[in-house]
Amino acid sequence: MDTARTDTASTGTAGMDIDLSEEAAEYGRQALRAFEAAGGDELVRAAEREPKRRGALVAPVLDGLGAWDLDPRGDAAELEAAAALCRGAGYWAVPFPVAERLSRPTDLDADGLLVVDGAHPAGAVEGLDLRWIAVTLDGRRSVAVARSPDAPPRTSAFVTGLGLRPVDGDGARDAALGLVLPCWTLLGMLDRAMKLTREHVLVREQFGQPLARFQGVRFQLAEAEVERSGVEVLAKYALWSVQSRRDEALDDALALRLAAVEAAEAVFRIAHQLHGALGFCDEAALSWLSRYSQPLRRLPLGLSGTRERLTDRLERHGLTGPFGDLPARATP
Amino acid sequence: MTGSGAAAGAVRDLDEFRAAVRQWCREHAPADWRRAQTDVPEEEFVAFQKAWFQELRRAGFAVPHWPREWGGGMPVAEQIVLHQELAVHDAPRLVLAFVAIHHAAATLLAAGSDEQRRRHLPAILDGEIWAQGFSEPGAGSDLAALRTTARRRGDAYIVDGQKVWASGAAHADRCLLLARTDPDAPKRDGISYFLLDMSAPGIDVRPIRQATGESHFCEIFLEGVVVPESDLVGRENDGWRTAQETLGAERGMTMLELAERLGNAGFRWLVETCTRRGPTGARPLDDSLVADRLAALETELTGLRALCRDLVERHDAGTARPADASIVKLYYSELLQRTTDFGAEVAGPAAHAELRKPLSSGWESGAWALDFIGSWEWTIPGGTSEIQRTIIGERGLGLPREPRTAR
Repeated sequence: MDTARTDTASTGTAGMDIDLSEEAAEYGRQALRAFEAAGGDELVRAAEREPKRRGALVAPVLDGLGAWDLDPRGDAAELEAAAALCRGAGYWAVPFPVAERLSRPTDLDADGLLVVDGAHPAGAVEGLDLRWIAVTLDGRRSVAVARSPDAPPRTSAFVTGLGLRPVDGDGARDAALGLVLPCWTLLGMLDRAMKLTREHVLVREQFGQPLARFQGVRFQLAEAEVERSGVEVLAKYALWSVQSRRDEALDDALALRLAAVEAAEAVFRIAHQLHGALGFCDEAALSWLSRYSQPLRRLPLGLSGTRERLTDRLERHGLTGPFGDLPARATP
Repeated sequence: MTGSGAAAGAVRDLDEFRAAVRQWCREHAPADWRRAQTDVPEEEFVAFQKAWFQELRRAGFAVPHWPREWGGGMPVAEQIVLHQELAVHDAPRLVLAFVAIHHAAATLLAAGSDEQRRRHLPAILDGEIWAQGFSEPGAGSDLAALRTTARRRGDAYIVDGQKVWASGAAHADRCLLLARTDPDAPKRDGISYFLLDMSAPGIDVRPIRQATGESHFCEIFLEGVVVPESDLVGRENDGWRTAQETLGAERGMTMLELAERLGNAGFRWLVETCTRRGPTGARPLDDSLVADRLAALETELTGLRALCRDLVERHDAGTARPADASIVKLYYSELLQRTTDFGAEVAGPAAHAELRKPLSSGWESGAWALDFIGSWEWTIPGGTSEIQRTIIGERGLGLPREPRTAR
């Protein structure tokens, strides 16, 4: 994105390069391989069978990657590495709140951060012995305690209610980071859904040829890829916005979330349609990916809730965006 | 139409019929079946379905769409009223008998012999359960590529192969089976249609677990299964035409009930969900965007119901056009997805804790998250949306056929 380089008001100097550093990208590739070696698709299946072992199943691989040594709030390069790690975790539907752990506040004694909204706060944190801080979009922070689940993970996808005890109102920056990193997880899920679907239509033959040869199939897959790649670019931009501590980072985070939820609907709808009935069965990795994408798509807010919050925040001034400073200077 | 007298009389009759159905529903529709049919073993579900079928049968409501001589003969206008009232009274659906009363009956009536009709139509009324064994691992959209074989030996056929996505096969007494009887013929010309007895030796049924947690899809493995010649429908090697003719129309006929369910139960719950006060005390309906979406969905539902009615009336009159059923199926399945998606959205994260759905309920049960996930499968079976669009293009609009490498 060299052509998009511009000075920004909030950083003043650095300029904008939203692509992840090569180090972060390499770390992401390592994470993908490590999750695969630890079981890949089997991880989420094992966690569903034995919810209590959920943390223990992934602890060795996350420790091996040095996940909890990353300092996403203090170091720009490590924030990028954290994002790459979340994306890798999403790719394998790793049954652990990696993004939420990585966004933990540093000024409070806690293991992780959950963005919540409304009177029924919830998170996909069942079966973990971790200390959580919850933050609302307007920055109110609470100590959050996971309630006992009333449904097995097969149906809850590890989502459980949270009991909240208010702490302070200093969480504005927490909310932005806490929204952006889970979107990277969701992005990883979309990467995988595309890969699975691409492989399926290349291999699956009907009418004497692979499905991929039918234009009606290719167009659908192309539309899904447009959605996915849009989220990828926005995810990098919103990460850069958080990294640069821009005032509008929360707006950018909400815009990313809106795009990610919309894209997830399109990508999973198309992935399922092109997989056929197989896509709904436990035999298919897509079925697991799609079920475990639900909490990320619904919490803290679904499509219309996210859109409403974003609209309320933007009022009439709109998003600043990557070129936000330019028109002002160009205007005489 | 000479005067409004006859029409007014018909309306009055319909009102009387509605009142009678209403009264019957109040007296006979089980009250707390939703609670009682949640998380129950399969055997209880089967027993409940069979008992409810007999209840409907005694009232003449189980197979209203069948010809009069077989126990049906209800005018289309009354069938619509019946399905509306059953939906409004939240009566259980005939999930288990669905293939029997629709697909099996249509096949028997259109292509079966008198002997086959006498053998099976009364049996269906007595509770015979049917499944459909069409799809195979290698033959989904391209159904004519099926490889299950039926080789003639004396006055019987020996069937070997594998079927998949046979909903409800675990409980079925009989199965509508397509198998290849002439391996050398062009692929559509070598297929025959059988009424498979599921208790015959050599049949192994295995349920497949789905994303919703249910296992109604089944695989059927067939190894050396002996099917008597008397279970062949129509002529040998003529099964493809039979399947196309009987089931194409039927694809649309089943929609009458489904559309009325969606309109009278699904939409009603959606409105209720929108009027339920949320944690802040506000009702989603107070948001004009929500009201707009509801209005748009109701408009679409009205269109769907009109399309279904038109299709059934055309079917009865013999004036149905070749793509009518595909239009209805495509429209219903995508509208169901939009409706349940909106339900899941309005109900919010709380809907995701509502993850148990009573057996015997419709595609819209009010457990919105499950309904939404369940709705996704609708654009796949009975001809995917891609296949329906191809049919609408080729048979409806008369466009040239898509180039295909193999026929």
